[in-house]
Amino acid sequence: MVEEAPHQQKTYHRSKTVTVMFLCLLVFAVLMGRLVYLMVFRSEYYTMKAKELHERERSIKAARGRIIDANGKILADNKTVCTISVIHSQITDKEKVIAVLSRELGLSEEYVRKRVEKISSIEKIRSNVDKSIGDAVRAYDLAGVKVDEDFKRYYPYDSLGSKVLGFTGGDNQGIIGLEVVYEEYLQGKAGTILTVTDAMGVEVAEAGEERVEPVEGKDLYISMDMNIQSYATQLALQTMETKEADSVSILVMNPQNGEILAMVNVPEFDLNDPYALPDTVNAEGLSEEKKQELLNGIWRNGCINDTYEPGSTFKIVTAAAGLESGAVKTTDTFNCPGYIMVEDRRIRCHKVGGHGAEDFVKATMNSCNPVFITVGLRIGAERYYSYFEKFGLLDKTGIDLPGEAGTIMHKLEDIGPVELATISFGQSFQITPIQLAVTAASIINGGRRVTPHFGVRTADSDGSNSRTFDYPVKDNIVSEETSASMRYILEQVVAEGSGKNGAVEGYRVGGKTATSQTLPRGSGRYIASFLGFAPADDPKVLAVAIINDPQGTYYGGQIAAPVIRQLFENILPYLEKMDYNRT
Amino acid sequence: MAQRSPSRRRQLNHESFMDYSLLFIVLFLLGFGLIMVYSTSSYEANLELGDSTYYLRKQVFATILGLIAMIAVANVPYHFWERFAVIGYIVSVVLILLIIPFGHESHGAKRWLYIGPISLQPAEVAKLCMILFLASMICTMGKQIRGRKGFLTVLAVPMPIAFMLWQITNNLSSAIIVVGIAALMLFVSCPDYKRFIILGLTGLALAALAVFAIVQMASAQAGTGEGDVGFRGERILAWLDPEAYSSGKGFQTIQALYAIGSGGVLGKGLGASMQKLGFLPEAQNDMIFSIICEELGLFGGFAVIIMFIMLIWRFMVIANNAPDLFGALLVVGVLGHIAIQVILNIAVVTNTIPNTGISLPFISYGGSSVMFLLIEIGLVLSVARGIRLKDL
Repeated sequence: MVEEAPHQQKTYHRSKTVTVMFLCLLVFAVLMGRLVYLMVFRSEYYTMKAKELHERERSIKAARGRIIDANGKILADNKTVCTISVIHSQITDKEKVIAVLSRELGLSEEYVRKRVEKISSIEKIRSNVDKSIGDAVRAYDLAGVKVDEDFKRYYPYDSLGSKVLGFTGGDNQGIIGLEVVYEEYLQGKAGTILTVTDAMGVEVAEAGEERVEPVEGKDLYISMDMNIQSYATQLALQTMETKEADSVSILVMNPQNGEILAMVNVPEFDLNDPYALPDTVNAEGLSEEKKQELLNGIWRNGCINDTYEPGSTFKIVTAAAGLESGAVKTTDTFNCPGYIMVEDRRIRCHKVGGHGAEDFVKATMNSCNPVFITVGLRIGAERYYSYFEKFGLLDKTGIDLPGEAGTIMHKLEDIGPVELATISFGQSFQITPIQLAVTAASIINGGRRVTPHFGVRTADSDGSNSRTFDYPVKDNIVSEETSASMRYILEQVVAEGSGKNGAVEGYRVGGKTATSQTLPRGSGRYIASFLGFAPADDPKVLAVAIINDPQGTYYGGQIAAPVIRQLFENILPYLEKMDYNRT
Repeated sequence: MAQRSPSRRRQLNHESFMDYSLLFIVLFLLGFGLIMVYSTSSYEANLELGDSTYYLRKQVFATILGLIAMIAVANVPYHFWERFAVIGYIVSVVLILLIIPFGHESHGAKRWLYIGPISLQPAEVAKLCMILFLASMICTMGKQIRGRKGFLTVLAVPMPIAFMLWQITNNLSSAIIVVGIAALMLFVSCPDYKRFIILGLTGLALAALAVFAIVQMASAQAGTGEGDVGFRGERILAWLDPEAYSSGKGFQTIQALYAIGSGGVLGKGLGASMQKLGFLPEAQNDMIFSIICEELGLFGGFAVIIMFIMLIWRFMVIANNAPDLFGALLVVGVLGHIAIQVILNIAVVTNTIPNTGISLPFISYGGSSVMFLLIEIGLVLSVARGIRLKDL
């Protein structure tokens, strides 16, 4: 018995040890099953979740589409620039990073320090840095400093057409001009770089990166002709200089389809440095708000953002309405004593002695106020207003530039005889220069109200996938007959009338001058303007010159008409050579 | 035949038998462990301490010390230690109590004692001493163990130690291991099955009831917005739905599951783990198995489990061929310790059971742990040397 006890015990403890072993095996089998479940059946899910955790996304800017003129010259392009940022967790020598970055980037130490010391995964210090500066920073090989290359908008002709083209901001988004309006075509689609990082956001170099390539923006082909634009700019600058004017605007368009060939508003600004204030402004001590206000003034496109009293050029509209309504015929004769009485008001003609007896054509050539007042009164307020509306003067032109100003006009019920009289020769209401140009174009082109525009088509950078824009045209705003009469009358104005300074030898030019006072009246400030078109019998080009507050002689016929004459002398042969007939 | 020269033959066999299979398995696990400690710790060690081999060097040092201790223990006849059984129990209690005034805190838990440059976890000492004390006690009790009184006495022995480990060092896992070792040794030394089945089922039922109660409490409190089910209660909720607690208690679990799941069948390759780059903090510690799975895939995970199964199989062979009951019980105790720890660790890492801090024997980083485990292996080797070849 005593002998047996240990033996017996040994037997069952052996079998029990084996039991323990098998229990362990059973549990291990369960755990292995669990591993199979996690690593085979749930693997896809956990892999996806882990990938989400490990990957960081960085975007790659898409190359912005270029802006290309009618001759294929590139007006807005991209150049390589660098974005410099810091990765907080990778910086080893903080002070050196701050010193180098503030010196190389020309930033205050305080500004750089704030960003370097901020605890974030990546902090942008400065974007749109010149490639040479980016390369210089890269040469220091500082840990935690990242130099990324991307694109910056670059304007090869600096200030040419600045207020039309516009410029882009730090994120390559359009700020003003065509850059804003065609943003959706130009901007393209940003790509992404997926990098693998550790828990602190430090990139894991061996893991490589996954790229989704950006889609570059579409090129925008515009109707602006760089040659005409630059010549018009020279003319405008020269005029502004010699006449000591505040500003000069020149607008050149195709009256048949609304394509704008040039739009100049001097002073222009440098598109590659749009935030620079002119030297004449003392920038010190100016608040940010005040600076922005000044900049907004500098960026303003006078041809479309500002309204003015058109003055005598508007007699084109009165004449067209008169002829169209039958209120006047070209052969009607009038007598101008130098003034006209409207109710109790005596409105003077610009020729103090009066023009005497004249027919309607002659009256237009003389730009005779009493005759046009008479015509306006014959048409009557209601009818005049309906023509105003029919010609599209109450609506915006729909030009593809931002911020077009609307017409400032009396309400129909407020138009009494005096108001109607002043409207008839282009006073007491305001329109934009583009509005005048488009309305005149529509009257002389056979009565089709066109939509003024720059954008012609978009295409990929290799020229494929071209897409042409369509613009609305409103037909029959005046009859073909009235249109022909207007062309004839306006040709006479230039040939022998007040617009004779606009005549170009060898070409048939039509046009109308204007001299308007700026409001408030009596300030002694004038706007001299001239609207001309050629060839007078089949207009292919229409141009408007507006000189704001010239010193000395301020008559449109004296100072504005010569500008258009010079312009036409140069561009008419050029346009013939370019075989300009895109109607 | 046996009478001819029994003592000489026994002497011969006694001295010549060395369980090389066991030794090889242990050395393989240690080597593999060092590779994985380096793989999991180098990135963070380099980032935080500027030395990618910091943890590896400490672990190599502890492993060498452990191997020396193992060889020493293996060469001492195991009955030599029987006289220290009671002292060992007392020493365990004293060391745990010393934690209260002298304990060193790390990772929010006070579990370490520093003796000069060496850090020591009293829990590791307690596990070893418990194996020794129970083996000695069960041998002394003889047949008494079969009675209810004997059964309950053996069951009561580890309770003070377990309670102290739980309350003083806040180390529930070590407490569970100590009780588990005792239960297994008791199971082996009793012929009875019924009591253990009842015990096991009661335990399971209590655990299930606790989980049920906590879930009920949490859902009742969900409306009031103050989910106070306690530290361990939250761990249970995080276990049931780790993604809902991914920023708190479920964080480690979720990160471990990402690691395991993204490893797939073949793994990302040794050293290629992403989760060890700071996503799974201190990947070299308790969660090292998840990185093994991420880098070496399902095959790597299975290989590690199979190595442990082989280790347990060797323990079983040695226990069943031990020259006496004391030796067998020592081996069963070591088997219980390692098996429970491996099972709990892998179960925690795979979110099979609620999260509790427990390291993977021989592989996880930790000096005390590997040293005491190697001492236990030394004991087992010592028992193995007593095996007569004819018994095999």
